Amino acid sequence: MTDNEKYNVNFFKPLSEHAKANKKLIIILATIWFVSVFGFQFLLIVLNEPTPEKSYITFQEVWPQVVHNPEAPIESKQELARCFLYVLGKNVALKDNHRVTLKRALSGLVFGLVPDSLNSPLLGEPSEQSIKLAQAGIGLSEEGFDKLMLALLPTSLIKVSDDIMTKEVIDEIPSIMELYLVHNQNAFTDFEFIGFPFHYWYTAQFLLILFVVLCLIYAVVIDKTNTKFNFVEET
Amino acid sequence: MNKFIKSFSIIFTLLFINNNVLAQSATTLEGEFKIGPAIILILLLITFVMVGVFNRAKDTSDYWAAGRKISPVGAGMAIASNWMSAASFLGMAAVMYGAGYHGLSYVVGWTGGYVLLLILMAGQIRRYGKYTAADFIGDRFYSKGLRGIGAGLAIFISFSYCVGQFAGIGLMFKWILGIDYTWAVIIGASVVLTYTLISGMLGVTKNMQIQYVIIIISFLIPMFILCYKFGYFYFLPQTGYGAVVSDIVNGLAPGKGITALGHDVGILPSPELAMPWDKATGQTAFQWIAICFSLMIGTAGLPHVIQRFYVVPRARDARWSVVWGLFFICILYWSAPVYSAFGKLLSSNPEVGKLAKDAIVVYTAQLGDVYPLIVGFLAAGAVSAAFSTVSGLLVAGASAFSHDLYFKVINPAATEQKQMLMARIGTILMAAGVAIIALLNLGLIAQLVAVAFSLAGCTIFPLFLLGIWWSGSNRAGAWAGVIAGSAVSLIALVYFIAGKFGGVLPGQEFVNYYMNAWYFAIFGAPIAILANIVVSKISKDKTPPEIVKFLAEKVHNYKVSS
Repeated sequence: MTDNEKYNVNFFKPLSEHAKANKKLIIILATIWFVSVFGFQFLLIVLNEPTPEKSYITFQEVWPQVVHNPEAPIESKQELARCFLYVLGKNVALKDNHRVTLKRALSGLVFGLVPDSLNSPLLGEPSEQSIKLAQAGIGLSEEGFDKLMLALLPTSLIKVSDDIMTKEVIDEIPSIMELYLVHNQNAFTDFEFIGFPFHYWYTAQFLLILFVVLCLIYAVVIDKTNTKFNFVEET
Repeated sequence: MNKFIKSFSIIFTLLFINNNVLAQSATTLEGEFKIGPAIILILLLITFVMVGVFNRAKDTSDYWAAGRKISPVGAGMAIASNWMSAASFLGMAAVMYGAGYHGLSYVVGWTGGYVLLLILMAGQIRRYGKYTAADFIGDRFYSKGLRGIGAGLAIFISFSYCVGQFAGIGLMFKWILGIDYTWAVIIGASVVLTYTLISGMLGVTKNMQIQYVIIIISFLIPMFILCYKFGYFYFLPQTGYGAVVSDIVNGLAPGKGITALGHDVGILPSPELAMPWDKATGQTAFQWIAICFSLMIGTAGLPHVIQRFYVVPRARDARWSVVWGLFFICILYWSAPVYSAFGKLLSSNPEVGKLAKDAIVVYTAQLGDVYPLIVGFLAAGAVSAAFSTVSGLLVAGASAFSHDLYFKVINPAATEQKQMLMARIGTILMAAGVAIIALLNLGLIAQLVAVAFSLAGCTIFPLFLLGIWWSGSNRAGAWAGVIAGSAVSLIALVYFIAGKFGGVLPGQEFVNYYMNAWYFAIFGAPIAILANIVVSKISKDKTPPEIVKFLAEKVHNYKVSS
């Protein structure tokens, strides 16, 4: 037997009892570590269901009524305008090109909600008057979420022109609404734990605690193992 | 008890909360030159230099071995300070602010890697007993060439790690000085270079402990204030912000009596912040897993992290320093999502406009009307975090250049003075190069730093993993692994740079998705490990018996009878 064979170091083929104990500990901790981090994410992938927000369900109801029908009920148009504002309120996530499309759709819709005799301010740049008209047209109150949507109006309305609602805008709207209003959800995301959605707490807090605990366990156990096998580590 | 809480609340309000309701926007958040934060920053830097002067290392070995006298808790603080950079301080909250749950892959990746590092490497590396990553590689694979490559990789990794830090320094200098980003990066780079040249050989480990305390305090104070002010559980904001996340997911109607920017705080339902891999964020489950994996193995392969284990007295201390280090790091990592959540809530008002994501930590404190000097302290903490990491990296990079590359490979006859000169030249060149790349604005801070992790994961990590755990891994295998890992890295970076400058290479979309610059180690590391194993098996080269024996007896305690 050569020296290389005699002293062969291979994690999977430990030559001493000490190395076997070390290998066992590493495999146990690495398995807990791997399953806890990646196993949970795989579980989320498997369980995830596309889940619409309430405003997306409303959008699906009113969009077919409104899109090709100028005579659609005012209530449906108002609901649709609120749906657009819901998405425009997602200011961080919203992509610039989607924001432009939504602004066009909203402004065109609001123009149709205001009586012809009053809607001329909407043909110009957004002003205090046009915002008040839009508020009345959509029927926004100054309470609750309506107040937030009202705050969005000054930055969400654009000058109305003949080509504001092009075919491209109409074609693009359903996919934009789906993109921002349908989310991956499951039992773990719906269940709240100390205020967090459970999956968020698990990943942002629990995993970090687990990592510290795993390190602590390793440091304690390996100290005991080294003592047991009389391994004096070099200084 | 109630009286105590009431009194505490009043004192807290008087001391820390700015009750002036200011109407601010993205532009006014930036503002002009801020004298308070500037003074705080200067005082902090002077403190660090003075601490260094009083704990000055007597010689090179004392510099490296300063920690040989320090406790595992102290070494843990030094690890945490070394680790907590602009990417931790500013970058993580930025990614979570922009991409929600996806950002947690950085939080998990940058902490979970320590488990790997501890159970697979820390004690063993210490028992092997070398001083730098290049030393280990050169010795274990008995190759001067690989030693040079190891040093080169350490320099390159330090370089790319610094790019994100300089971007962070630039952003904070921009905020403090009220100047544009380009000038902020140039001034910031000059200050950090001067600081490094002054403090480079001073009492680094002691300094790192003090830096840790300052960095963590500056990060935590505004968080308590935000939770207190907005009516969330403020005794432990790390749990209190759970309700903020749920409020964002379900929507929060204004009228709780909380104001920011002169308006009632409220937000329309925004589940995209918390739901896993929301399509609105443009991120997928594969990307989450790829980033997390790459950051984890990168952690276990970063030269400046591995080198921390050489400065503790014993292998046991190396292990316990990781436990303490991870605990100290986690205090910040548990807290970073608080800023992204409050940032999302407070910036939902359309008047705020678009904010630079990488500065969201500071903007959030501003939007929450936290007392300006506290915000200034927060910004100074961010700069300190970047400075502590950058100075360490510049010194490590310069040492690798002058000692591992120049002295050990190129000119073994070089005098001490010549080596020192080369180290200084190396530091200046590196700082200038990093500043130029930082000006290109190639990505978010966390993403830029992630490049360094993937590089380390593809190149250094396989060498350490196989070098420690398999004596069959030989010089030929090591070369094959390094070449394979470097090739994957090169392809990923070339495609990334081409994409950034509008170029389209064959399979651009495929490579950009599966081997993105932020996570190419997901494939690069397994390929490098495989190449190392296959070539080691088929080559005639054998690891010298003395190295195998050393590994078996000294590193793994194999007691073999002759």
